[in-house]
Amino acid sequence: MAANIVRIEVTPKVGSGFRDVRGDLIKRRLRADHAIEFTQVRSVVGYLVKSEISSEEISDRVEDLFADPIIEVGTTDALILNDKTLFADSPELVISIGFKPGVTDNPGSAALDGFRTIFPQTESSAKVSTYLTYAFYGGPTDLDSNWLAGELHNGLIEKVVIGIKGETAPEIEFPEIGKIEYSAPKSIDLEVPDEELIRISNEGLLALNLEEMHAIQAHYRDPEIRKARAAAGLVVDAPTDVELECLAQTWSEHCKHKIFAAKIHHVDSETDEDCTIDSLFKTHIMKPTFDMQAEVDWLLSIFHDNSGVIAWDDDWSICMKAETHNSPSALDPFGGAMTGIVGVNRDILGTGLGARPIANTDVFCFGPPDWQGDLPDNLFHPSRVLRGVHAGVRVGGNESGIPTVNGAIVFDDRYIGKPLVYCGTIGMMPRHLPDGRESHVKNPLPGDRVYMVGGKVGYDGIHGATFSSLELTEESPSSAVQIGDPITQKKMVDMILEARDAGLMTCITDNGAGGLSSSIGEMAEYTNGCDIDLSKVPLKQEGLKAWEILVSESQERMTVSVREEDVPAFEQLAALHEVEISWVACFTNSGLFHVRYGADTVCQLPLEFLHDGVPQLQLESEWKTPELTPFLPPENPDHSNLLIRMLAQPNIASKETWVRQYDHEVIAQTAVKPFVGVERDGPGDAGVLAPIHGSTHGLVVSNGIAPRYSDIDAGAMAAAAVDEAVRNAVCAGVDMTKIAGLDNFCWPDPIESEKTPDGRFKLAQLVRANRELERVCRAYFVPCVSGKDSMKNDYGSGEGKISIPPTLLFSLFGDHPDVRYTTTSDLKPGESLYLVGTSKQELGASELAFMLKASGEADGIGGEVPRLPDPEVKLQSYKSLTKAIQNGIVRTAHDCSEGGVAVAIAEMCIGGRCGAAIDVDGPGNADLWGRLWGESLGRIIVGVSQENRPAFLEALSGSEIMYLGETTDSDHLLIYYGDDLVIESKVEDLVNSWKGSLDMTGGDQ
Amino acid sequence: MMVEIPKVAVLFGFGINCDRETAAIFELAGAKSERVHVNHFINGDKDLSEYHILAVPGGFSFGDHLGSGRLLGNRMRYAMREQLTAFAAAGKPIIGICNGFQVLVKTGLLPGREIPDFEQRASLTLNNSGRYEDRWITLEFDSESPCIWTKGITRLECPIRHGEGRFVMPNFEDLDTLDANHQLVTRYVDPKSEVGAGITDEELPFPICPNGSARNIAGICDPTGLIFGLMPHPEAAYATFLHPQHTRNEIVEEIEGECMKIFRNAVEYCQSNL
Repeated sequence: MAANIVRIEVTPKVGSGFRDVRGDLIKRRLRADHAIEFTQVRSVVGYLVKSEISSEEISDRVEDLFADPIIEVGTTDALILNDKTLFADSPELVISIGFKPGVTDNPGSAALDGFRTIFPQTESSAKVSTYLTYAFYGGPTDLDSNWLAGELHNGLIEKVVIGIKGETAPEIEFPEIGKIEYSAPKSIDLEVPDEELIRISNEGLLALNLEEMHAIQAHYRDPEIRKARAAAGLVVDAPTDVELECLAQTWSEHCKHKIFAAKIHHVDSETDEDCTIDSLFKTHIMKPTFDMQAEVDWLLSIFHDNSGVIAWDDDWSICMKAETHNSPSALDPFGGAMTGIVGVNRDILGTGLGARPIANTDVFCFGPPDWQGDLPDNLFHPSRVLRGVHAGVRVGGNESGIPTVNGAIVFDDRYIGKPLVYCGTIGMMPRHLPDGRESHVKNPLPGDRVYMVGGKVGYDGIHGATFSSLELTEESPSSAVQIGDPITQKKMVDMILEARDAGLMTCITDNGAGGLSSSIGEMAEYTNGCDIDLSKVPLKQEGLKAWEILVSESQERMTVSVREEDVPAFEQLAALHEVEISWVACFTNSGLFHVRYGADTVCQLPLEFLHDGVPQLQLESEWKTPELTPFLPPENPDHSNLLIRMLAQPNIASKETWVRQYDHEVIAQTAVKPFVGVERDGPGDAGVLAPIHGSTHGLVVSNGIAPRYSDIDAGAMAAAAVDEAVRNAVCAGVDMTKIAGLDNFCWPDPIESEKTPDGRFKLAQLVRANRELERVCRAYFVPCVSGKDSMKNDYGSGEGKISIPPTLLFSLFGDHPDVRYTTTSDLKPGESLYLVGTSKQELGASELAFMLKASGEADGIGGEVPRLPDPEVKLQSYKSLTKAIQNGIVRTAHDCSEGGVAVAIAEMCIGGRCGAAIDVDGPGNADLWGRLWGESLGRIIVGVSQENRPAFLEALSGSEIMYLGETTDSDHLLIYYGDDLVIESKVEDLVNSWKGSLDMTGGDQ
Repeated sequence: MMVEIPKVAVLFGFGINCDRETAAIFELAGAKSERVHVNHFINGDKDLSEYHILAVPGGFSFGDHLGSGRLLGNRMRYAMREQLTAFAAAGKPIIGICNGFQVLVKTGLLPGREIPDFEQRASLTLNNSGRYEDRWITLEFDSESPCIWTKGITRLECPIRHGEGRFVMPNFEDLDTLDANHQLVTRYVDPKSEVGAGITDEELPFPICPNGSARNIAGICDPTGLIFGLMPHPEAAYATFLHPQHTRNEIVEEIEGECMKIFRNAVEYCQSNL
């Protein structure tokens, strides 16, 4: 029997008690983002089933699978819009959106799974494709239907058909993939002029520079290599396309961090410093952490694995990793971000012998959501990026059952060119497996079988690693985008953790950037060799070439090694969980990365050359303090009004409608949530977890990020990021003797070139950031146990080039002795208020300066940026304060960051729905502006009950501390400067301003 | 033979994701928990009749595609029908939380019949807001309900975490019947209302009723009171320090939260009745 395609369409019932929520959502989104009103939008979900099951059989079972009989109506082999009993009026406009061929269709795969439950006889080649149709009523008459379709779909991955009233309704067809025949690898002649070498690199999206191409060329001139190649039956003097692609992936900036490994000649024209730095990473990150490791016993595994591991107690260890997924998120915000979060989850799963992800953190940097200016070609409006990224991370995190416990959203115009999507995950694993092995140590042996576990391999995600090492252009390829499937991954996680506990695995790593070439290539270093057979890799589409199979970044895949004797148990476990596994390789000790397609060798590279053959970059760095127009506060200010305006600034405003959509409580462990206080809408500082059920032993998770300080000095930016993360953790009552950090750098291209004439300066920014990172981390004793860098965050070149502000995200995780003894930012009645730390005159690059410059009330943002000259002093206060919190003396604390003391105290009033009266005058020589709005580091506002006041003062004696005032019974915040009342605001007005500006829901209906 | 320590089968697999905490919390309530993969029951490796309680935890089985709980509900409806019928006939309690509730509704076990007929009579669908949300809500319980899980409970606070929690039935009479049978076990109520008098049929505003459920319904039981499903997550409020306002309260030695009563009720029921 031949396969036929059956169309099923389903629409929600409407009318008394029933409604079309999916349609309503579109209606509200158009209202919120574009002020466009429709009277009604209705939705239809379509399924195209390609199978041997007849249309009659399917039609009989529509309500068993496709349509919910209570709330939906379904049709078979007809467009439901033509059913006049359901759609009495014909819509003015119909837009149908389906997937392009080969794009991951998660509802389609789920539908197929459900289809097999009902029709077990379904043949294995059956497929289901899904689409969505929207019917629009009562909209503006001059609306451009193509524009609207563009808003609703992403042409990179989706196709659209549009129907206008009076025309026949549009039909989405099944996305057939054209047949492709497998073709054998080609060899690529590198004995060509240099220009030709560069052309090969550029046209192949290899992102290899001339020196690297020369290194590869030299490899194939080596007589020993040629002899070995002749023996393997390979072209002796030229790489196969498989080899060249494999080298490009492994040597990409994304995988090899070449800029952080570079030899840098650094010049400071102000101090006359002239020095050479041999690898920023080794000098400023690795060395300090190793030095700290020598002093403690809890740093179990650092740098060499997928995430850094610390001992949490005798039984459990904790690991954390953060990644960025910027370029894919720019092209497909939803898919890119989702892949980001499920990808970093796999880093955790691939740590040691498998850790269980227990919490996510998400930090995004976007252009302003209300951006009115021009947009460069091929870029989405920031509001659309925000919606898409948020949805991707929401789906990825929620469906995986991993709570999102902490994060931030930062806005700046320059992130229009490239949004930053940082996704972090914390994992947990038993220190020892039941078989006695230490879980943070991988131990594969030659002869172990290597399995690919999870999904199949397709065209999706070919060249992700090399692509992210290039700047974004209009021609960026769609194949660089992948869409994750959290459920396929969840099944795999369930299975892997059982396999771990049963002692069935000797090594595991994830398939992320670079696909199998990276995952097996890295694992092969343990045994010094591997032998891969690409013909055993299951494919989504027939005909993939060998190199494509090797480097594809198709999602939901882990690479796992298993000893021969454990194979039956491992395969049985996969069958139980319905997880696809394929035996694709063996570990060897041949010293070779050896790849076959069936019997034919298609790639043979010495592991040493693959991993260590890339030449070290030599880069130039030159620092000169930027000349900026200073920020001068306006005369005759109304600080009350400024406070209301500041609270509505996107960088400060409540992100509640967004963050509430993340599950932050699954696993039943989140003791301090993103929202706190009386109405549960005040800001949380750090996340606090109690991951062992029934125990109060805790973990603290926090983040610090301050990209705008880079406008003045990226060094100050880095110090501020670390201090903010630490401050937040201090507010939670973290154990200051056991905290670890992650450094995630996102930079504009810092290599001087025609495209980047200011490369020296950007590199100097990186140098300064690294130096400050090291200084502050050493002072606070925060070892950086893992990190990542993304170094090409630019859009375009020349005049229209947009470079992001150099951005360091510092994520922190630490121990907490007892989660009951913690604080939240909401004021509690009857508290005395103190400022820990000192306010200095530091308004440069402050949120206030940016706001007033944007409104024309100030000319610039320059001036003194917050700095941290005395971290030892801060550390003393932090230690005293955390002790006081752990003793139950302090229940209220909030860190001062964007917007300074004024915004911090306002947020505390909001959380507590409580008035306060404070006087900001005190020690130091800052003026009123500095005291209200300055963003000096090291400051925390603390609330203490009257009975605990003496104990608190004693605990903090010797620390920088200043009495601010008291909470009040009134519903007003009063801020004095000595005798002058400078701010008077109703708490309700603070609430409305803070919660109003980023709502973007388009109302409740 | 009296059951001293009831055995709980906590289902997992296919995107269920609250299985670990649900299992742990039954243990804290005095039961012995085992996480059992759905396929273990389907392929016969494990026998449901050896357990005393079945828990279908929260999560995103099959990604909520084609409607939350639908695909897992179908697998159970087709492949576990006899086992489930026998389990119910043996008078053993079943709980479905969040996605588990959606599964039980879509298998037809809820609101169900005295003897399960696996016919779907209600649905849980997209929240009126169109958004998945995690927020704490206040629940009140029908004191006359036959539900064995909620005996002696008047009011609880715990989080909801769902995008498809709006309870729908084809018509008002269906809801009247359930109400008359006291099967509308628990409803969202205004936290400012008088304790014990919060339940109302009037539509409560968002976010007091977070999803637009008919009559503010948060959870229902079958006619026997043994099968209970609810959208909120009582297991996520098992300890006092999980309450969003715990830093506003005294620090106490006893960490057990009020929601543990639900799990203790089932354990005690098994101890007294099985």
